[in-house]
Amino acid sequence: MPLLELEGVTLRFGGLRAVSELDWQVERGAVAALIGPNGAGKTTAFNLVTGVYPPSEGSVRFDGREIGGAPPHRIAGLGVARTFQNIRLFRGLSALENVVAALAAAHRPGLAEVLRAPGWQAREHALVARARELLGRLGLERYAEARADALPYGEQRRLEIARALATAPKLLLLDEPAAGMNPAEKDELRDLVARLRGDFGLTIVLIDHDVRFVMGLCERITVLDHGEKIAEGAPEAVRSDPRVIEAYLGVDVPA
Amino acid sequence: MRGRSGAALGALGLAFVLLEWVLPHALNPYYLTILTRIGVAIVAAVSLQLVSGFTGQFSIGHAGFMAVGAYASAALSVYLGAGWLASLAAVVPAPLARALYYPLPLLAGGALAAGAGLLVGIPTLRLRGDYLAIATLGFGEIIRVLILNVDAVGGARGFALTAASGVDLRYDDLGAIYAVVLASVAVIARLAYSSAGLAFRAVREDEIAAESIGVPTTRVKVLAFVVSSFFAGVAGAVFAHSEGYIHTNSFGFVRSFEIMVFVVLGGLGSITGAVLAATALTAAPELLRGFGELRMIVYSLGLIAVMILRPQGLLGARELDPARWLARWRERRAAA
Amino acid sequence: MENLLQQLVNGVAWGSIYALVALGYTMVYGVLKLINFAHGEVYMVGAMTGFYTARALGLANRPSGLGLAATLLAAMATCAALGATIERVAYRPLRHAPRLAPLITAIGVSLLLQNTGQLVLGADPKFFPPLLASHEMLRVGSLAVSNIQLTVLATALALMAGLELVVMRTRVGRAMRAVSQDAPAAALMGVPVDRIIQLTFVLGSALAGAAGILVGLSNPKIDPLMGLMPGLKAFVAAVLGGIGSIPGAMVGGLLLGVVETLVAGYLSSTYRDAIAFVILIAILLYRPTGLFGSAQPEKV
Repeated sequence: MPLLELEGVTLRFGGLRAVSELDWQVERGAVAALIGPNGAGKTTAFNLVTGVYPPSEGSVRFDGREIGGAPPHRIAGLGVARTFQNIRLFRGLSALENVVAALAAAHRPGLAEVLRAPGWQAREHALVARARELLGRLGLERYAEARADALPYGEQRRLEIARALATAPKLLLLDEPAAGMNPAEKDELRDLVARLRGDFGLTIVLIDHDVRFVMGLCERITVLDHGEKIAEGAPEAVRSDPRVIEAYLGVDVPA
Repeated sequence: MRGRSGAALGALGLAFVLLEWVLPHALNPYYLTILTRIGVAIVAAVSLQLVSGFTGQFSIGHAGFMAVGAYASAALSVYLGAGWLASLAAVVPAPLARALYYPLPLLAGGALAAGAGLLVGIPTLRLRGDYLAIATLGFGEIIRVLILNVDAVGGARGFALTAASGVDLRYDDLGAIYAVVLASVAVIARLAYSSAGLAFRAVREDEIAAESIGVPTTRVKVLAFVVSSFFAGVAGAVFAHSEGYIHTNSFGFVRSFEIMVFVVLGGLGSITGAVLAATALTAAPELLRGFGELRMIVYSLGLIAVMILRPQGLLGARELDPARWLARWRERRAAA
Repeated sequence: MENLLQQLVNGVAWGSIYALVALGYTMVYGVLKLINFAHGEVYMVGAMTGFYTARALGLANRPSGLGLAATLLAAMATCAALGATIERVAYRPLRHAPRLAPLITAIGVSLLLQNTGQLVLGADPKFFPPLLASHEMLRVGSLAVSNIQLTVLATALALMAGLELVVMRTRVGRAMRAVSQDAPAAALMGVPVDRIIQLTFVLGSALAGAAGILVGLSNPKIDPLMGLMPGLKAFVAAVLGGIGSIPGAMVGGLLLGVVETLVAGYLSSTYRDAIAFVILIAILLYRPTGLFGSAQPEKV
């Protein structure tokens, strides 16, 4: 059974169909990509999966369970994590606090916080230690106490990934993780994403505009245009698909 | 850090002794009243800080919840309290009986205010930013008008804390009041500064990102709102019992604005900031009495000036942290 | 039936005053996304200016249309200047500060004006001299419409029409609309944003000043706190109509005036003040963008 399955999903905004009759599966353990020109509906597809928008029609299933229209925090609790096209860090909080917030998200503040029994204190220390470890694995340990918006751009993107990983997800959705990066940074990111699957046992879906970045990394690519799926398959097949080339008219698709 | 908690406890003990036994005899009643009002202002400000400064939900109807707490606690004392006090006084000496009784109307006031907070919060917390602020303003006024029309608590005449039997339920024991203040501030600080409490600030920083990491934003907002209303109710109850007489005029939107000024001036997200601002601004009009008729004009000019010169408030989002000063002082000594 | 019509007439008269003040709130919110809490006090200053002007011109025992016009102009000019000053001193320095900061200065200005008013007016109550001799203008059965009500209505409508003309038919008005839609883009297009904002305050405050005089025609008592409640209610009217929308403020004001008068007349006058807030809550819960507003969804 695929980890993520969209069947006949349509999203309408007033008269506009942002996504149209989308059928899409992502297999467990895959590294897949969702590409397409601007306005194709890629981020909208992510938003449909993560619960930001309920589908107007169709069903979204995660790990066998229907999640279409469920509130985002519940979907996150089921194991779906994401990063955003325009970085959405908790800017006034430190890098460490950003990650701790994700680790502690399931627990609502209450009496335990007020009473602070020794068991509680031990758990707090464990949380902070785990957060530091996560930051370390993404090369961010020296920024732990820094304000999130003080980090350099590339590090901010990595921090968003660290925070997403803190929720122990099964599925990680990365929305334009390489945006604004120079080629060297993109190579580093590509290596990082490749490692994430093995290190964390993840299924990963990427959105990106940089077709070359995606080609080297993903096993299966789905192409959207005007809210519809126009091609799908292995990178080489998709690259030479005439419909894809036409959709990207003007963009130089590397040979 | 045994030494540190020892010092802190010692300081608290000293403060309690001062408030309970020294100041009431050393200061004239006018200043004691100011100290009481400062205590009330601190609890009101810190509770608003939780929902506005930490969770980013701007509520300008806070005085409405204070009113609920004030009137609920007063009603309890006036209609049931005298009887309970009498029963208590039969087994323990009178001052102890009053001290033991005191938490009851406070908790009642807080609980009812929390209930009101839940009723108001659930529909309004769906709104964003300015709309939420306006809605809370509206609810604050509605609560006030509703209370005004309840004859059992005095209506337009106001409500005195005297039972039908003539027993005066007034209680302005400074030590008890400040114990309540300390407990309130401690509870709120502990809730806010914990890993689970990061949820409040996550909601403030970016709701959509917060949802994406599993924070149930609406529930967190409602929680912040209910807790803050609870303590607003406690502040109101303390106020009612220390003044001995309350009127809805004290709980209008002007009062809500005052409390919001404490929070913004102290720095959004700073508990110590709110405490400082509440203290300074409550004492200020009294201290400005020397200016006579120009008093309020000087006050408002000062307010405008401070906001223009330091819009992030006194402490911004940071806390006054003696431990940090100590550490830095030690570092400097070591470097020298 | 006639009683109903009478109430409606009264309501519309009150409503047009709310509308004039509401316009100031809505225009400022449109360009700055700021709730100008000091606006109610501008209205009060208008009334006070009218009081002193009327006294200075010796209009106490010589009501006349000319006297009214002079007082109106004086109040509008004074309030326009006041509005511009408030914007320059209390809001412009905080243009890039956190959202709550200008709110606080607004409260500070509000307090300042109230207390200065108290200082200037003194302790004993002051009353507007009758600027217009009151007499009945229209009679349909037992429905009576006085010339004062007609004057209020006519003046308010004229001012609102004037504003609509400026906003919709002039370059300056177009600039105002551009700034309220997208200030940075307007700046890039060469619109002098600071001056447009100042003009917005000037126009809104002038209207509030006019409202202060018009209210004095039928409610002559002046006190420094007279701006609080009407200010708040006018604000509710602006929200009702859709904050940021000029036709919304006009309709919202009239609607609020009518509903309030009907409630006070048929239900109970103690709930008169609360009605505004009940409407506010209802609007915010069911249609927060108001009658004429449009929702701005956030892009994820």
